[in-house]
This record gives sequence, C-alpha cells and structure tokens, in this order.
Amino acid sequence: MAADREPVIGIDLGTTNSVVATVHEGSPVVIKNRAGQSLTPSVVAIAKTGKQLVGAIAKRQAITNAVDTVFASKRLIGRKFSSTQVQEALGVLPYRVQVGEHDDVRIQLADKQLSLPEIAALILKELKLDAEAHFGRPVRKAVITVPAYFNDGQRQATKDAGRIAGLEVLRIINEPTAAALAYGFGKSVSGKIAVFDLGGGTFDISVLDVGGGVFDVIATGGDTYLGGEDFDNRVITWLAQDFAKEHGVDLKKDRMALQRLKDAAEKAKIELSNGRETQVNLPFISTPEGGGAALHLQKTLTREKLEELCRDLVERCIVLCDQVLEEAKVKPIDLKEMILVGGMTRMPRVQEAVKQYFRRDPCKGVHPDEVVALGAAVQAQALTTTDSDVVLLDVTPQSLGVAVAGGYVRRLIPRNTTVPMSVTEAFTTSKDNQQTVKIMVLQGENDVAHQNELLGEFILTGLREAPRGQVNVDVTFDVNAEGIVSVSAKDRETGLHQSIQVTASGGLTEDELKKILDEQADMLLEARSDEEVKGKSTELNALMRELASLIPQLEKSAKDSQFTHDAVEKAHQALLAAKRALETNTLPELTRSHDALTRTVGLFKGMLSRFGGP
Amino acid sequence: MADGTVDLEPGRVQEITDLDGRLERINHFELLGLQPGATHDEVRAAFRELSRKYHPDRFYGKNVGVLKPKIERIFKRIVEANTTLTDPGKREAYLAANPFVRAAVKAASGSNAALAPERDKSPEEQARDAERRSRLARHPYLARVSRVQDLITKAREAVAKGEYSQAFQSLTQATQIDDKHVEARTMLLDVRQKYESMRAETDFKRALEAIDRGDATLALQALKAAVTANPKHHEAASKVAQLLGAANAKEASLYAQKAVDAAPRNVAYRLQLGRLLLEAGAKALAKKQFEEAARLDPNHPEVKKQGKSMWPF
Repeated sequence: MAADREPVIGIDLGTTNSVVATVHEGSPVVIKNRAGQSLTPSVVAIAKTGKQLVGAIAKRQAITNAVDTVFASKRLIGRKFSSTQVQEALGVLPYRVQVGEHDDVRIQLADKQLSLPEIAALILKELKLDAEAHFGRPVRKAVITVPAYFNDGQRQATKDAGRIAGLEVLRIINEPTAAALAYGFGKSVSGKIAVFDLGGGTFDISVLDVGGGVFDVIATGGDTYLGGEDFDNRVITWLAQDFAKEHGVDLKKDRMALQRLKDAAEKAKIELSNGRETQVNLPFISTPEGGGAALHLQKTLTREKLEELCRDLVERCIVLCDQVLEEAKVKPIDLKEMILVGGMTRMPRVQEAVKQYFRRDPCKGVHPDEVVALGAAVQAQALTTTDSDVVLLDVTPQSLGVAVAGGYVRRLIPRNTTVPMSVTEAFTTSKDNQQTVKIMVLQGENDVAHQNELLGEFILTGLREAPRGQVNVDVTFDVNAEGIVSVSAKDRETGLHQSIQVTASGGLTEDELKKILDEQADMLLEARSDEEVKGKSTELNALMRELASLIPQLEKSAKDSQFTHDAVEKAHQALLAAKRALETNTLPELTRSHDALTRTVGLFKGMLSRFGGP
Repeated sequence: MADGTVDLEPGRVQEITDLDGRLERINHFELLGLQPGATHDEVRAAFRELSRKYHPDRFYGKNVGVLKPKIERIFKRIVEANTTLTDPGKREAYLAANPFVRAAVKAASGSNAALAPERDKSPEEQARDAERRSRLARHPYLARVSRVQDLITKAREAVAKGEYSQAFQSLTQATQIDDKHVEARTMLLDVRQKYESMRAETDFKRALEAIDRGDATLALQALKAAVTANPKHHEAASKVAQLLGAANAKEASLYAQKAVDAAPRNVAYRLQLGRLLLEAGAKALAKKQFEEAARLDPNHPEVKKQGKSMWPF
C-alpha cells in the first residue's frame, strides 16, 4: 500500500486547449481524455437543454449556441473589467461578459453568472476526471501552469480555480519554465536555453541556465495579450470589413455570425501553415432585416495576405525576445538550444522570424502542444518525491515596489529576480508630524504609481511626531519559492510592526488607484534616497553656475535683440525655479529643474555659437 | 509528532543550524565554499550545487519545523551571493563595500597569479626592473604616489588582520600626503569608524572591569575615553553619568544628555537625565525629560512615581 504512491498531475490550462500529464515510470506522459484526445479544448458551454458541456463537445456546438459558449476565458482571468484588454475583448466575444461588484469580470452563462475562476474550474474539473479515469482512483494533487508574464492577481485567480475544482495546487509554475523542464528532464543538458512560447492567448519568452538538474531562469518576459486569438481576430476583421463594404452589413454585431467567422478564421489560419491558399466559405452568413435574399461569404485567403495582416504581431514577438535576451545578457549565438512551444509556432512566418533572429533551427522532438503539461508533471513529481534530481529556480516576472510621495514608485524587487528572496529598504515620512503611513504594494514597470497593478495595501500608525524625513520606516518585501509576496513595515525606533500577505487585489481601476493616491498623498512615504538627492543637487548647482556665467556673455554678444532679451528673462526664471527646487530638496523637484536647466544651457550655447560669441 | 521533531537526519539538521548561525560572519565566497576571487563559472557551479541542497523545494512536504526560516534564510543568501558575484558591477560594489573581502581576494590572487610572471624573467631582467622601479620611485611626484599606494596596501593588510589602529595610522599618513586621494579617504572614513567603535568597546570593557574591582577613578577615565572615541556609545555615556552622580550633577547631566541623544527612545536614559537636571537645578528641562519618558512608556513604574512627585510644577 505504501509503495503505491498517490498520483500527481501537471496541467497546462491553455487559452484554446488544455492538457493533463503525469510521470509514469520515470518519464512524463500525456493523459488522453475520455474521448481519446491529448488536447481538450478550453471551452465551456451550457446547452439549450441546460446541460453543462466542457471540451470538444462544447466547442462543436459553439456556432448554434454562441451566447452560452465560453472560449478563451484565460484572456480575462484575474483582469479588471475596466482594463483596456477586457474592453477590447468585448467587441469580439460572442458570449456575455459582464461587470462584477469589484470591477471584476463575470460571465453570464444561461441563467447563471459565473466568475472567471469558476469557468476555469469547470475545465480543470474535466481534466481531473480524465486523470481519475486513467488512474482508476481519485486524483487531488496538481501543478498548474500559467504564462510567465501573468501578474500576481492572475496567478491567484488560477490557484482559486484549482481549489474550486477540488484540486490541491502544489505549485503554479510558468509555462516556458515547464517547457524547459520537460525538454531537459532526464538529459544531461548543460548551458543556456531559450523558450519561445506563442500560444492561443499569450506570448512568453524565457532564458534559462540549465545544468546538473538545476533549471535556473535568468530572464523572462512577454505579453499576456498576444497570441493565436489575435491572429484570428485579424482575419475576422479582414473578412468582416470586406463583407461590410460589399453588403453594408456588420457581421461583428451578430453573435452567431461572429462565432462562425471565428471558427472559419482559425481553420483558415491553420490550413495556411501547410497550404499556400485557402477558401473561406460561409453560406447564409446573414439574412438582411426585412426580408431579401440571404447573404453568403466566400473569400480566398493566401498565406501572403495572412502574413501581411499579422506582420506587426510577429514583429512584436521578436522585439520582446530581443528585450529579454538583453536583460539576460545573452546573445542569440550563446544559446545552446532554442525551444518552440505553443500551437502558433507552427505558422511558417513565425518559424522564419525566429530562425532569422536566433540564427539557428529550433529544437526538434519537442511537441509544442504537450511539452508544457509534461513539464508541469515533472515538477509535480519533483515536489512530491524525496529523491528527485530536479530543482527549479524561477524569477519574479514583474517588478515589485511601493508607492512614494509624488505619485511615483520605488522598486524594491526588480523583475527577473530569483525567488525566494527578501529585500529591506528604509523610507521616511514625507510630511511634518506624519503619524501614519500607507504602504501600497505595486507590481509593474511604470514609474508612475497608478499605471501599475495594486497588489495590496496597509497602514502603519503610531509614528513619532517629528519633522518630515526624521522618522525611519523599514519596508521589507518577501517573496517565497511559490512567488507569493508578503510585505511588512517597521518603525525603526519603536519596533512598531505591520504586515500583509498579498492576495488578489480588490480589482481597482487605474482611475480609482490614482484617486486613492491623490487622497492619501500625505500618508505616503518618501524614498530615502539621500545620495541621489545630494548628487542631483550638486549637478544642479554646477548647471546654475554655468548658466549664470553664460547670461552676461549672451547679453554682450547680442544686446538689442528682443529674442535675447526674452531668453535672458527665461534663464533668470529658470535659475529662480532651480533655487526653489534646491530648497525643497526632493528628488522629483530637483530632477525637473535639472532637466529644465540642461535645456536652457543647451539653448544658450547654441545661440552664442550662432552670434559668434566666445 | 512531538514538538521539535523534523523529517530530516540529525546530521542534516546540524548542518543547516550551523550554516545559519554562521551566515552573518562569512562572506559570499566562503558561503559558496570557494576561494576568494573565484571565477564566474566556479560561482555558477557552486550555486547549482548549493541550490540542490538548500532550495526550499527540496524540503517540500517535509516537516522541517523550526528549520524552515533557517533554510529560507540560507537559500536567500545563496541567491544573493550568486547574483552579486556573477555580475561584474555588483561584484565590484560588493568588494568596495567590504574591504576585508577585497583584501582576501588580493591575497589569494597575489599568491598565484601576480607572482607568476616574475619567475619567467632572468635574474638580469629582474635586477633591471628593480633598478628602474627604484629610480622611478625617487621622482618627487611618483614617490608621493607610490608612497600613498604603499600605505594603502599596508592598511588593507592590517584591515584583513583586524588591526584597525595600524590601518588607521597608515591611512591618516596617506591622506596627509595626498588629501585628495579618493580611495584613501573613503577607506579612512570606514576604518576610522570601525577603529573608534572598537576602541570605545575596549575602553568600555576596561571600565566594567575597573568597576568590578571597585576602582571608580580608572573606570571613569576609561568610560570618558570610550564616549570620546564613540559619542554614540550610550551605555558608556550613561555609566559616566551614573558614576559622576548627583554630586557632580552638571557634568553628569552632560553625559546623560549624550546617552539620550544616542538612544532617544530609551526611557531609563531619559529618567536618568531628568533626575540629574533636577539635581542641577534645571527644573524646566528636567520636566521635559520626564514628560518625554511618560510619553514613551506611560506604564513604567518610575515614570508613574516621578509623575506624582513632579506634580508641584
């Protein structure tokens, strides 16, 4: 009995298709679903009869039941309803997307309103059943993959989905990392490898350093809104626009027509991976209001046309590759191997672009649809056995920081930092006699606070009354091996202490976040960047001296010009502003003034050289 | 399962506890089990080896009890060592911030790499080199530069051995010769601080011993020296005030003030200062200290007592 271990599974919860795998006798294998297929479409529907459908059976009835068939729900999970991505999706999705109580996304399915984790749970439950049929016994433990570039909220939502489906989620791991794990498992690979993962909805690129069973992610990047669906949408838009020009009917407004268009676009795209051209035939696509003959859509799509429609999407992938390789400090030539993952990497144009950029043929022998699930299974196995040889060192995909006075972000953990890790940084009060500080934990790359994702917030109270800058608060970020973030703040003198474990955000919009930041400006911290401030002040002083010496020169060389007069006037104003900035002694003010003076000095030098000055 | 038991072999438990205890004291190279100045590839290999040993995932699902935070601490430090030593910029910054480690790196590379070319030269060549060096060294400008360099090297060696007073002297000389030498000046700042706090600590210990022997004069002298060396040594300052006592309330209150300045949130220091000020006749100032003490810790027994006796004000 003891020898018979509890089965563990790895799940690739994809945008278009999902796969479940396990490790059998030392090697990872895909578990076929009860219909005998490796891939289970990530589609959920409620049929007219009220029956709940998941997978291929749901996908098949999508056209006749467009309103109650949900696909590509992964693109919405963990997002805010008001986000641009969701707003854009509204126009292309035939099913009913609604706004929840906390600006979260809900989907109306027949007479039920479901949250995104609930939808994902339906798919996970189906996969769990497939695995149980395979093992002939209950399965509880699973590793689930997400795109590397998913933020904290999206990861938490995926974990919630697992819980709703009755799974114990051992770990959420990144898809490209999982692919590398499956690729390197059981081989004595050593060196740097890149994983290019273009799936149904997301694009990820990761660089790993592999050796001795240790998979060390060096850098990762991507776009959670770039994938096969976008390629399909380009084709849909092209077909619909043409149709509108010809017949004056907007097919996108008709949910059923839209679903047929989507089906046809995806099929055409896949066919063009092998053929040079394909026919799109959609008879009776529209019946004009008030009678008249039904309209048919018939068009030829060539591979060239498809590539033209999607050129910028492919280019965007390559740009992201370049960024990530740069961050990893790796040249394409230094890579040992290059792995392609995701159905979209079958497109010839994508393969060419990748080959051209990486200057090598991608690795053969990796199944682009299955490799992620296999890697998840490897990790599930590694976590639950004691004699495993695999260690996975992952990174934070996005930077973490806190909001500071002035509406800026102070980053404590830059992206691509190996986890687990912790960082402490000292902050100080931004107002005189400030007794409370609000710690707002942000995730993202933007310097402006409200452009980032708010992960959570808490308030530290009871600070000593003192002039600003005199109370020191230590803020500590702690990220564990699972990528779960906890943040604590401590008053250095009193030992006063507050902390939170960051969980899914309350779903605030950017505007709401901006509003909160404005309202609580006097509760925020000031970055304790004395040295930066000092450096900037010194530079500013030097610039002021330089400008002051240029003014008399300019006055001498062109005395009676009105332009000179204005310029000198402006320079005096700039000097005054700089003096004020020096008095405030804050970084944003100093920086602003520094930039302004740099411009003025440049202008003066230009004028002097033109007037034939010294 | 009883408290304290963990799913690990005793040897492994010991290993983890030991390493965690040493974390604060060892440098990045020592942590990775490498020679100071080890190369990028050596660091990577050691990092992989240690990851397999200490990554928290290696303990997944096991009951590790109190070892859990220790393992996390160890692994975070291993990651830090790896990131620091594999990035040339970060490695340089780390060495700059830790002159000990830099000295160790110099010593390690000096013993094998730097000396090697010398052996390839013939005796005549070596003699010529030496002659050229001594001729150059006599040049007034170069003499100054090489003298400063010598002193810095000497200081570095002294730092590596923990002999701060020696290092302090060498660096002071170096900055006297060339007061704009950036390296000498930054090192001096660092060394002076360490030297002074070390001296203060020795003086303080001497004073405690003197107190034990009942030699108040010597104790007072040593304590004052400690405060001069390190004005932030609040324990020493407070002890001086205590020894001087009410009889020398004015001088005592100056030292009590120093203790308060160094540790403004210490209630006992505030109370001590308050009492001495009261003795010295500065009632208003004393009252302020008692009030501050009451604000810091309203439940302190003496605060309550003083509060009552202060009522007449």
